[in-house]
Amino acid sequence: MSDGQTKQFGKSQRVVPADKAQKWYPVDDQSQPKKVRKTLRPAKVRETLVPGTILILLAGRFRGKRVILLKSLDQGVLLVTGPFKINGVPLRRVNARYVIATSKRVDISGVDAKAVEKISAPGYFTKDKKAEKKTEEAFFKQGEKAEKKVVASARASDQKAVDQAILASIKKEDFLGSYLATTFSLRNGDKPHEMKW
Amino acid sequence: MADIDVKVSSWKLVEVGRLVLIRSGPFEGKLAAIVEIVDHRRVLVDGPSTEEQKIVPRHVLPLAHATLTHFTIPQLPRAAGTGPVKKLWAKNEIDGKWAKSSFAQRSERSDRRKNLSDFERFKVLRLRKQARYEVQKSHAKARAANKS
Amino acid sequence: MADGFPGRLTEYQVIGRHLPNEANPTPKLYRMRIFAPNTVVAKSRFWYFMAQLRKLKKANGEIVSLNVIEEKRPLKVKNFGVWIRYDSRSGTHNMYKEFREMSRTDAVEALYQDMAARHRSRFGSIHILKVVEIENNDSIRRPYIKQLLQKDLKFPLPHRAGGKVGKKVFAYSRPSTFA
Repeated sequence: MSDGQTKQFGKSQRVVPADKAQKWYPVDDQSQPKKVRKTLRPAKVRETLVPGTILILLAGRFRGKRVILLKSLDQGVLLVTGPFKINGVPLRRVNARYVIATSKRVDISGVDAKAVEKISAPGYFTKDKKAEKKTEEAFFKQGEKAEKKVVASARASDQKAVDQAILASIKKEDFLGSYLATTFSLRNGDKPHEMKW
Repeated sequence: MADIDVKVSSWKLVEVGRLVLIRSGPFEGKLAAIVEIVDHRRVLVDGPSTEEQKIVPRHVLPLAHATLTHFTIPQLPRAAGTGPVKKLWAKNEIDGKWAKSSFAQRSERSDRRKNLSDFERFKVLRLRKQARYEVQKSHAKARAANKS
Repeated sequence: MADGFPGRLTEYQVIGRHLPNEANPTPKLYRMRIFAPNTVVAKSRFWYFMAQLRKLKKANGEIVSLNVIEEKRPLKVKNFGVWIRYDSRSGTHNMYKEFREMSRTDAVEALYQDMAARHRSRFGSIHILKVVEIENNDSIRRPYIKQLLQKDLKFPLPHRAGGKVGKKVFAYSRPSTFA
């Protein structure tokens, strides 16, 4: 610590400290940050959610659809597929909470494990950044001609690669294809809490 | 004057040996034989069925919780122990007779329907539709044949 | 009890005596069979009856033992004769009643119910003097029990209403009561 400067004030001299004591003190005591006792644990997957199980989606754009579970990802997220050709549900991640697992299982041993591995990698579903920023002109042009959404060809080919084996095993059983094609809904008198799945 | 034929309605009787269907309580839906009549509201029942999960232990059952069935164990002695009841139960083939009764069949069917899985329910729906279609087709054919 | 619940009353054997002193180091033991909902009431009833019968009360006595008396054959239907003394609003009466039950405690429960129904009497105003199983059917005195002992007893349950399950406020057809 430096001693500071000696300064002349009129006739007298005084040492002025280099760093002055603080004039104001905070009224409140320093608040202690709260200790977080939670830990990030891997989500526990329900016993019924075995890969190959037919699920009924309960929420989102594809609610009511019956889909096939491919793999459970971490944090309670499931990777499912329609198959796209049967009910229009693409390879998709869904929340495990919003799903009913049925007792019906489809054989998915023929599915290419490498493709599933690739799809379940973290960055796969993230959106690409738009190359060009929206200009004012583009904004006014919007109404004139709708830009068609182009599905990345890589995604389409992945979809095909995964679904191929599943479609083959679905074909082996009667009614299974049309079962997946129909959506689930409750009728009068249906009590979902008493139903067996 | 014509003779009027008056028939006494044939009520099922509360008697020793009568089989009752238990309608409420822990043994609901199970079959038991009346072993002794306690009073006009209660009977002592025992159901030593040959199937493990259908056994009803000997206990007092209020008649309000029972429905009388058509079946009896004839010559069941009054206050017979579980052993003799079991023997007579097997000898009279009560379980088999009961399984053939329409009530048992109906309840079994409804149980099976209740326990169908989602895929099985869908299959039932489809198969019923197919059967209905066949019936309607042949019905239409018969109608067309009648018209001409 | 009749409706399948565990019984309300239990039969206790209570043995008590006068506190031993120099004058009498081995006082006489007194034993009672008491029907009570729990041990606390059983002991209380013991002292109540003791004070009425002998010069002995809780302050100068002790309970020597208290245990539950179980029914020997709870799966057999028996006929019981019960002698009671009961204080009505206008006096004290002795009574004899018969019950057809599975156990002594069942019979006593039925007795309390019956007395409450017919005479509006409470637990405290009834003293049970004696509960006896009547093994000989000829010594049954009451006709309401006698009628249940005839050979090949049988009776119908004519016209029963169905269960309440799924019952609507309005019925579109007359209910079938034939069963």
